[in-house]
Amino acid sequence: MTAATPTFEQVTVEVSAAGRKALRAARIRGVVFAALGVVALGFSVEALSTPAVFSLWVDKQGGQSWVITTTVGLLWILTGIVTGLTGILQLVRGTAFPWRRMLVVVLPLWIIATLSALLVGKPANLTGVLGGTLSLAAPISLGAFAGIISERSGIANIAIEGKMLIGACAASVAASVAMLVLGHDANPTIAVLIGITAAAISGILVSLLLAWLSIRWKVDQIIAGIVINIGAIGITNFLYLRVLGKNTQLNTPPTVESLKVPVISEFPVIGPILFSGTPYLYFTLIVMVAFAYMLYRTRWGLRLRASGEKPSAAGTVGIDVIAIRYRAMIIAGVFAGIAGSSLSLASAGSFQMKMSAGRGFIALAAVIFGAWNPIYAFGAALVFGFADSVQALLSILGVDVPPQLLNSLPYIVTIVVVAGVVGRVRGPAASGQPYDQG
Amino acid sequence: MRRVGRALRPAVIPILAVITAFIVGSFFILITDFDNLSKLGKDPVGAITGALGTIGTAYYSMLIGALGDPAKLGAAISNPTPRAMAAAIRPITETLVASTPLIFAGLATAISFRSGVFNIGVEGQFVLGAFGATVAAILLKDQPMPLILLVSTIAGILTGAAWGWIPGFLKARTGAHEVITTIMLNYVAAQIVLFGLRSDLLRKEGSSEPISKVLSDFVRIPLIFNLPAIRLHWGFVVALLMAVVVSWFLFKTTKGYELRAAGFNLNAARYAGMSAGGAIVLAMTLSGALAGLGGSMEVLGTVPQMSNDISSGYGFNAIALALLAGNRPAGIVAASLLFGALRTGGGLMQVKTGIPLDLLFFIQALVIMFVAAPGLIRVLYRFDRTRGPGAEKVVEGGAA
Repeated sequence: MTAATPTFEQVTVEVSAAGRKALRAARIRGVVFAALGVVALGFSVEALSTPAVFSLWVDKQGGQSWVITTTVGLLWILTGIVTGLTGILQLVRGTAFPWRRMLVVVLPLWIIATLSALLVGKPANLTGVLGGTLSLAAPISLGAFAGIISERSGIANIAIEGKMLIGACAASVAASVAMLVLGHDANPTIAVLIGITAAAISGILVSLLLAWLSIRWKVDQIIAGIVINIGAIGITNFLYLRVLGKNTQLNTPPTVESLKVPVISEFPVIGPILFSGTPYLYFTLIVMVAFAYMLYRTRWGLRLRASGEKPSAAGTVGIDVIAIRYRAMIIAGVFAGIAGSSLSLASAGSFQMKMSAGRGFIALAAVIFGAWNPIYAFGAALVFGFADSVQALLSILGVDVPPQLLNSLPYIVTIVVVAGVVGRVRGPAASGQPYDQG
Repeated sequence: MRRVGRALRPAVIPILAVITAFIVGSFFILITDFDNLSKLGKDPVGAITGALGTIGTAYYSMLIGALGDPAKLGAAISNPTPRAMAAAIRPITETLVASTPLIFAGLATAISFRSGVFNIGVEGQFVLGAFGATVAAILLKDQPMPLILLVSTIAGILTGAAWGWIPGFLKARTGAHEVITTIMLNYVAAQIVLFGLRSDLLRKEGSSEPISKVLSDFVRIPLIFNLPAIRLHWGFVVALLMAVVVSWFLFKTTKGYELRAAGFNLNAARYAGMSAGGAIVLAMTLSGALAGLGGSMEVLGTVPQMSNDISSGYGFNAIALALLAGNRPAGIVAASLLFGALRTGGGLMQVKTGIPLDLLFFIQALVIMFVAAPGLIRVLYRFDRTRGPGAEKVVEGGAA
């Protein structure tokens, strides 16, 4: 038995085998990119004279507009050149080529060119699409932040959906009751704030139930999440059909209106897109920055990540992993509850049955697509929101694209990402595993 | 006597879990009973008895709705016309009809749990199985009926199996967690069905709803009783057969042993020379195939046509069933009959008392919770305190 330790020759052979594999993958990638470039150039031939008209509002929604006119063919030529160049660079430089960074340029070009080809010359207003993207992304990213904080602390959280649903219900009922109690002359903002607070509190309670089941009773965290998702549908449907349906005054909350940020909403082009959204958008942006800072730059964040990666090591140096997890779950409840409240207070104007409609799972997708990082997760939510928003635009303009295609995008992207087709992401190591504090 | 006691021992926690869940459910009926509670100030006794009466009526009508009305049963015995017979046995046959998809979905979930993979995707596999069966049936609609029945059942099994194979393959090959991939695939499946049902090939003529052509016009699983309004078909018997087959497969064959070994300890199975990846793929594919079979039985036997809400949460109920039954096939059948009875009886409850059927989803969630946290039940009923929380592992193997 001399072959127990590999000799030097064996190791080098293995490394070069892996290297060959990577080189082959790089070559295939290069050829594929180059071929796609040729395909894009091919598309351009027939579309050279088709106009592509995009416009953006300069000062405010519905005000002056700034029109960009080009042709679909030119867009395809640009896309083809960039894609083809990426392929050639990949072939020349081999494995060292940072092709993932190039995707940031290549993918948007493909999206814009495809969009303009689908529109066939119909003018499209991008301010609406981009503003819609942001407002659709807000609840998804808040839900994703809830997922990130709990998974980073070591508790797998597939219950975002349930928490959002309960938050939506609580917000609507509490805001409506507040309006009834305060009377119609009262400031609706107070009622809205009461509704949001109620959503946050209900989110905390549901989150604590999840934490309690998985920490105290060591229930498998996936099962605990399923309990909450099924239970949330059951209890909110029950309340809606038994109580809210007959007493509609309990389900007519004041709605959250969009809020223009003073001064900066006057910025040309950017103002109408970024700073004329609902308060939820600003809240999301603030939370994103604060949360990313807390997670990566503070002692709290380090401890949180430690209890999600290696709780035994964290426990050994005296960190109270259990307390950290409970606290993380409380914050997760606040985020998910508020995300839910935006559905009933900002989007729909009342609570409807099953109104979360899978957004909690899209948030989970954003957690994974965003590699458990708040800023990337917001980016992921933007991508999903953009898909939704483009679909709305296309259906308004009467372009016949099956909505199911764009609707399934977040889910397919997530599968591709977890399967590591476009680079593997890795979640917190101890997420989903129970921890015994000695 | 002791043997009986030992045989019933695994049923103690599930039974107490169900009872506790119903007690909590009653509490929610009570606090939302505004008609009676509004009288609390004037007539507290009347208000409380009235509210308790609502709960009593609710659960009693659930029982009658699920098993049958004794009065109609008596009428059928004294005057056995087909009409009276049908009226008497309709509730119980409806319970069996409702439990059929649950048995398939429950078996599908149990086979994956036993193998240590968490198939949350039974819902999608069920729906897509039904969709595959529908496509095959519509393509073959001019053929003789037995042929349509056979081919579309096989098509349903294959589509379900393929939809289960994807996450299994991804897990075995790339390590992609099956919980995430199956959740996402459930949504993709729903979108595929919506997309397909808008095509001219499948859509019912002149309908804007996502429903298919009426399949029962040209293909239907034969009924067991030829009585008016009785929908019980041979799919139920197939479900029972499948329980036997799954039980035999898991406990009497080498492959089944390998799956269970992988479920107990993937590494140990790997060191014993079994293919861990193979076990995962096989478990997911079989699970999907069972779900797909369930879907085809539903669309070919129970409902007249395919629609986007063909599964009213069967895949999620199945998780409750598998936990409740401890992943034992016989237990799945028993638990499915119970859940089928709840669904059918819940319908009458809704009609009689206005209490929404959706309460059952909440009760189900509570059942899963109590079964998954047996320590909670032990503390509530103060027995067996020697064992700590979590002494019993509910899902054998757990999430790998």
